Amino acid sequence: MMKTKTTRLGASFRDPSGFLFTRAGVLYRQVNQVYADNYTLLMTSGLYEKLVKTGLLIQHSESDTQPADEKHSFKVLCPERVPFISYPYEWSFGQLKDAALATLSIQKRALKLGMSLKDASVYNIQFHRGKPILIDTLSFESLQEGEPWVAYRQFCQHFLAPLALMAYRDVRLNQLLRIYIDGVPLDLASQLLPRRTRWNLGLSTHIHLHARLQRRYADIAVTEARAGRKISKETLLGLIESLRATVRRLEWKPAGTEWADYYIANNYTGFAFDHKKVLVGDWLSKIAPKTIWDLGANTGFFSRVAAETGAYVISSDIDPAAVELNYRQVKENNEQNLLPLVLNLTNPSPSIGWQNRERDSFLQRGSVDAVLALALVHHLAISNNVPLEQVAEFFAVCGEWLIVEFVPKSDSQVQKLLRNRLDIFSEYSRAGFESAFGLWYSIQSSSAVRESERWLYLMKRKSVRT
Amino acid sequence: MIWLYLDPGSGSFLIQLLIAGFAGIVIFVGARWRKIRKFFNKNKIQDEETNDEDEDD
Repeated sequence: MMKTKTTRLGASFRDPSGFLFTRAGVLYRQVNQVYADNYTLLMTSGLYEKLVKTGLLIQHSESDTQPADEKHSFKVLCPERVPFISYPYEWSFGQLKDAALATLSIQKRALKLGMSLKDASVYNIQFHRGKPILIDTLSFESLQEGEPWVAYRQFCQHFLAPLALMAYRDVRLNQLLRIYIDGVPLDLASQLLPRRTRWNLGLSTHIHLHARLQRRYADIAVTEARAGRKISKETLLGLIESLRATVRRLEWKPAGTEWADYYIANNYTGFAFDHKKVLVGDWLSKIAPKTIWDLGANTGFFSRVAAETGAYVISSDIDPAAVELNYRQVKENNEQNLLPLVLNLTNPSPSIGWQNRERDSFLQRGSVDAVLALALVHHLAISNNVPLEQVAEFFAVCGEWLIVEFVPKSDSQVQKLLRNRLDIFSEYSRAGFESAFGLWYSIQSSSAVRESERWLYLMKRKSVRT
Repeated sequence: MIWLYLDPGSGSFLIQLLIAGFAGIVIFVGARWRKIRKFFNKNKIQDEETNDEDEDD
């Protein structure tokens, strides 16, 4: 029998407890011998069951497949797979906040059952069925009585610092996580935060004072610094409570942004909007995609039309306020198959980390069955000067099917983009659009959107470029 | 003592010990404060705490 290829995942190397690998398209997690006791405790203490029941930890089954590294292996697990891996620099404020609260909630439950999180990495949290969930089964260790929380620093850098910066300085500062893979350094956060945050007891302790002590004790070993002092379990619970209160009090309200009120102030009449909804719905039910990327989704109106077909929808937009509103709807309606993400298509998430392999780029995490690009092409083609042919190529890389809207120059939205610019876009016409997209796609269907000058197309990717 | 694969950081350890010193007071005051807020602002606090309903089971 031929041996199937086993691939270790690029992000899975830091923790000696185990690692992830794929074989024949199935994801496995090897648990190493060194982690045997902790794994057994997780499973027998009732913690696993409790966390899975509350939707805070990914479910797994034990597998009898061959380990990827037999010498060190204790067990191989087959975890439930999250449909799409996303990163904190793609989340809205509310998503990061809920991920932080989920981590604290997990730690609190773990402490009560005699375990503790040995890491609090934001990358261990993913959104699954609309909610944050811990995907790293090997994050727990048995609680060492008297020991401080080893992942406290990581929690502050990965969650608290970016959240505080987003709430108190600017919501776009979660982009710092794209540069600092181990979270925002606390001395940097402390400098960037406004002075008034020193009056916030939580932030003054967990960020400002924490940063000062880090600097002061940088060259002193932990054992020396603590001088034999111990910390009780009750105090650890108090610490979690303090972090939780601090995180909870951080607020950010989406207001006065570019897009959030787009649906009210655009060119559509109610008829045009309804017609577009009918067209998108009809075409999607005809092609029945399992996965959809709605690019430039705004607050996710058409993503929801798409999600109604039962597909899994990634609903991305450049505007953090629109994504925040989108996520709030997901929470409110308990939507399971829709993931809102902040994404700038003119500079999508790159691959980052060790050997550029720890966090995949946006395109490495695709592609999908169908792409929705509604009221988007003019932004890419005109605001960002991307030739139409390249816009089509990008969509073709993203997915097989495409539902795309063409907005002509006469439309007020395009006029707005052109008002301070020289019109260098002679190709930007319906004919030019069809011929550019024709290089990559065959047009399956098209329709003028009623009571507007816009056109909607259903296209299928050509197998070979002509 | 078992050491871990991440460096917890000396400052980060020490601050927890400092917090431990104040913790008794803070937790005591915090709990009373929440009770007072709850009394005056029942609905809002309840909203915030819906996530934790099952936490003490």
